[in-house]
Amino acid sequence: MTRSLPPALALGLAAWLSAGAAQAQTVTPPAGRLLASNCFQCHGTNGKGPGFETLAGKSASELYQELKEFQSGKEGNGIMARHAMGYTDGQLHALAQWLSTQR
Amino acid sequence: MDRRSFLAHAASTGLLALPAATWADKVRSSATANLLPPTRPKSRVIVIGGGMAGATLAKYLRLWGDAVDVTLIERNPKYLSNIMSSLVLTGQRTLSGLTFGYDTLQSRYGVRLVVGEVVEVDPVAAKVRLASGTTLVADRIVLAPGIAFDAVPGLADPLRMPHAWQAGPQTTRLAQQLAAMPSNGVAVLAIPKAPYRCPPGPYERACLIADWMKAYKPQAKLIVLDGNLDFVTERDNFAQAFYGLHGQVIEYRTGVEISSVDTNQMMVYTNGGAVKADVVNLIPPQRAPALVAATGLATANGGRFAPVDVLSYASLVAPLVHVIGDASATTQPKAGHIANQEAKVCADALARLLSGGQPDPAPVTNSACYSTITRSQASWLTAVFQYDPVAKVMVPVPAASGASLGWQSDNFSQMNRWFSALMADSFA
Repeated sequence: MTRSLPPALALGLAAWLSAGAAQAQTVTPPAGRLLASNCFQCHGTNGKGPGFETLAGKSASELYQELKEFQSGKEGNGIMARHAMGYTDGQLHALAQWLSTQR
Repeated sequence: MDRRSFLAHAASTGLLALPAATWADKVRSSATANLLPPTRPKSRVIVIGGGMAGATLAKYLRLWGDAVDVTLIERNPKYLSNIMSSLVLTGQRTLSGLTFGYDTLQSRYGVRLVVGEVVEVDPVAAKVRLASGTTLVADRIVLAPGIAFDAVPGLADPLRMPHAWQAGPQTTRLAQQLAAMPSNGVAVLAIPKAPYRCPPGPYERACLIADWMKAYKPQAKLIVLDGNLDFVTERDNFAQAFYGLHGQVIEYRTGVEISSVDTNQMMVYTNGGAVKADVVNLIPPQRAPALVAATGLATANGGRFAPVDVLSYASLVAPLVHVIGDASATTQPKAGHIANQEAKVCADALARLLSGGQPDPAPVTNSACYSTITRSQASWLTAVFQYDPVAKVMVPVPAASGASLGWQSDNFSQMNRWFSALMADSFA
């Protein structure tokens, strides 16, 4: 059946058939996305709900400041205060940055 | 036909299940419809088990890029949530309200669902054989099969002393048995030695049943037989509840392991003597399901669970097979919330590995949950785990690992919100 194909297309098809996943372009996920996904169980996929406070649509600095306030204990001793203490400053910046791309 | 519709067509014709030669034939016959070849074929991942870990993995592999063709194999057409299922025992929830389907995973994310039973996994060729006779081939296989229970000598019919630790008929039966017990009756709740699924789960169930007994079985007693030497987790809250709030109902015995049972006499035989009861909620010791051991992967915890590289959840025995959720042996608890996060770490790692890259070298996982202390009040428990590159394990951050100071009704409503959010992130 390949005889009926134009030669260039047949060649391309042959190349595609022999191409494995290993030859695909390397995928590098956006920085902060995997970290931010720790928020999704309670704040919804991509921070868009359903669940607790929606995170999508906020700026990176707003999200970072809120997390720092939780971390410092200024927001009381609830579950989110305890939880925020598990992340380094760099991780909070990275996840806040990624979440700020979600609209 | 564009690439996407070709792939949809290929999927609907069962391309995944075809051997290589037939696969190529299919492509050629499709090519006659002026198909322009895609730049590269998709990688293929087979996910076995559609619980909290498997459903989340399937969703996120598709959500985080169109490069992976995902087939989810699950024996049941719908998922029954174990989380919240103790509330079925007190009549506060129903099993139908804890039922979650796979429709959104299929329609919105393009996950292919196969309802069937896997009988064999070839961990080297990355092949899966189904009870139906079909063989499926992939680039990677992810096992998310949950847990299985040790056999208990004398327990021929598990419904006589149900564990109700997997939501379903056992949950219904235990609820019926509790409702039918005399108002001055005795119930036993047996907790297995760790590691088992949902560390706070048996203690919160004991609290919930004790609170229910106060209202419906005023002279009844609940004997908790713990295979562990102390509360496995959230000690402050559970000790206060067991010895204080529910002290008139709960009798707590530690270091008690069950050797056998007699379901006719309703006797439980233990290293601490025999106990007779009207109702026995026997939660046996746990292990990864037989398929994991049969594949040769269950080499940790004395042959019970599968050791993995927690950067990708690749099996330490067979690197093309990943194991996520309760069946894996890690330093993390066996529970739904963290299984969801393990799945995301695995999905991210697979996207990178399948394109020739390396997993994220510093993953973080988290756990959050609520425990019912009464029928209207709850406590909370949380933990965050960071990767330790020297020990190659996930390590809990001490400051972020802990529980609420006591319990509140606010936490009970937050628990319902948490549950809805978690299930949506996993199944919708």
